[in-house]
Amino acid sequence: MKKVTFYTLASCFLIFNLILCSVPAFAKEKIVIGFVPMTLNNEYFITMVNGARQKAKELGVDLEVQAADQHASAAAQLTIIENMITAGVDGICIVPSSSEGLVSALERCKASNVPIINLDTKINKEVLDEVGMEVPFYGTDNYAGAAEAGKYVLKHFDKGAKTAILTGIKGQQNAADRRNGFYDQVKDHVNVVAEQSANWEVDQGYTATQNILSANPDLQLIFASNDGMAIGALRAVEEAEKKGQVKIIGFDAISEALNLVENGDMLGTVAQYPAEMGIKGVENITKKINGEKVEMHINTGAKLITKDNVKEHKDYSKQFAD
Amino acid sequence: MEKVNKTESFSKIDIQSLALYIGAVLIFITFTILCGAYGKSFFTLDNMKNIINQSAVIAVIAIGQSIVILTGGIDLSVGSIVGFVGIAGGLLLKSGMPLMMVIGVVIICGCIIGFANGYFVSFGKVPAFIVTLGSMQIIHGLTMVLNTGRPVSGFPSELRMVVSAKIMGIPISIIYVFLLYAIMITVMKKTTLGRWIYAIGGNANAAKLAGVKTKQIEMLAYVFGGLFASIGGIFLLSRLSYADPNAGMGYELDVIAAVVIGGIALSGGKGSIGNTLVGSLILGMLKCGLQILNVPVYFQTIIIGITIIVAVYLDKAKERKAE
Repeated sequence: MKKVTFYTLASCFLIFNLILCSVPAFAKEKIVIGFVPMTLNNEYFITMVNGARQKAKELGVDLEVQAADQHASAAAQLTIIENMITAGVDGICIVPSSSEGLVSALERCKASNVPIINLDTKINKEVLDEVGMEVPFYGTDNYAGAAEAGKYVLKHFDKGAKTAILTGIKGQQNAADRRNGFYDQVKDHVNVVAEQSANWEVDQGYTATQNILSANPDLQLIFASNDGMAIGALRAVEEAEKKGQVKIIGFDAISEALNLVENGDMLGTVAQYPAEMGIKGVENITKKINGEKVEMHINTGAKLITKDNVKEHKDYSKQFAD
Repeated sequence: MEKVNKTESFSKIDIQSLALYIGAVLIFITFTILCGAYGKSFFTLDNMKNIINQSAVIAVIAIGQSIVILTGGIDLSVGSIVGFVGIAGGLLLKSGMPLMMVIGVVIICGCIIGFANGYFVSFGKVPAFIVTLGSMQIIHGLTMVLNTGRPVSGFPSELRMVVSAKIMGIPISIIYVFLLYAIMITVMKKTTLGRWIYAIGGNANAAKLAGVKTKQIEMLAYVFGGLFASIGGIFLLSRLSYADPNAGMGYELDVIAAVVIGGIALSGGKGSIGNTLVGSLILGMLKCGLQILNVPVYFQTIIIGITIIVAVYLDKAKERKAE
């Protein structure tokens, strides 16, 4: 019987926990929007969610945010969507874990008549055709963002400048898009002497750059496909005492990278506007729930942040920081 | 004499399990009340189906893991087998192989992986943790190599029917889960094989002296581990109709959690497979209920972590008392 009391205690503890962290009760007639980013463990998605939260507050709708705990996976997102539908959300904004992994989840939404808006990572046309749904997409494309960095390089670097590219995980669409967006702009102008995958990771960006530098001591430019790898590259460049010689451009405009751009440690970083995606997503899904027409495609834009405009961008970002 | 023993062991199991069932029911009631208070529905027939459906993959893999843990071992490779089955099965399907044949092939693959694990553990004397830690990496790497790290999609709709078909309104995945558990509970309780598995985990030397072929039986446990992991992999592939090379990552931990919540001792020899199903459902119920209540994701992991420790803490009450 002692055990039984223990279980009772355990359950009381659970209830306590639940009350602690549940959101306040809501009135049923209020519109409830489900918001599913890939994960909540990086700044990009946190900014997106904060943008969405602010808009939801302004419109007076409820926002329920759920994400996979560590890895973005199609399995976790399907479970989340099933549970959101059970919980009775009126519409869902989702950043899919991959462009083709949401067939079953979309089927569920279609069967329950829950409208969807696709943010950031575009769902494949084949998938949408298979399910027979038309889903609006709001985001930017990585290719265009990386091309912004490429255009800057065309203007500010001499012809034949020795360049290295650090790419993301091989086989991922966004990794390919960022690499190609940059490469297609600069391929006839600079001399790409090295190209390596550092799997989006800081430490791998560091070692890859060490290796690239020892093979190419006269390197002038590194384009890293995300800021993590750019920061790793910067450490390697600093260690080799080549900070004046090697310029680094990153991607994502995370706050650490913006600080480095401001100090002049990094040349620039490509900013996307995740908060805009969250704002536009919530605004339009609310319209959709109310039966209004919404735009099928919104380009939320991308911009290269350099020393010239970093201050302005930081001020803009501040309103979506925690 | 025999009869007395039987009733004794029967009532013992009952009391141990009872606490688990009460815990499960209390969690269930908690969610029903809380969701009710927030104007959301938890205790509906659809959501019950939903929870079992969502728990099916973990519950099925946990059958094999239970057997391995009962022998005193552990199988960390099950999650990677799920990913492997998805990509290998997906590629075979895309190449035009009939669905039933694909299922057969990947299940055989799972058994072979389990066989290799078991061989190194039982005959090779390498600790199970190390063998399966290694094979986890090997299988994950192989999965990446198979399709250069890319996912596979665009499957015929018959694939989804494997687990989504309904019989009299009940999703077939639920029927599979109960059927597989019923079979394995019978095997563990009624057959010599089952008794031998318990015997190895309880005291391998005594079992050996009693004439049990301990090495073969131990190896067989890992074959079960691979078998049920591959079945779980097929469930997931069918549920998503999409194969992701990273699918199943971390599942080994969810599965081990389900087994220990169900009360099987990590040292082996003690516990019942049926309770593993309850353990899996408790995990599924927590995830579903917390998501419906819109508890932030990191609080969910904290609560699930607490549940695992509390469950085992309660399970050890008797041992603490004995000391």
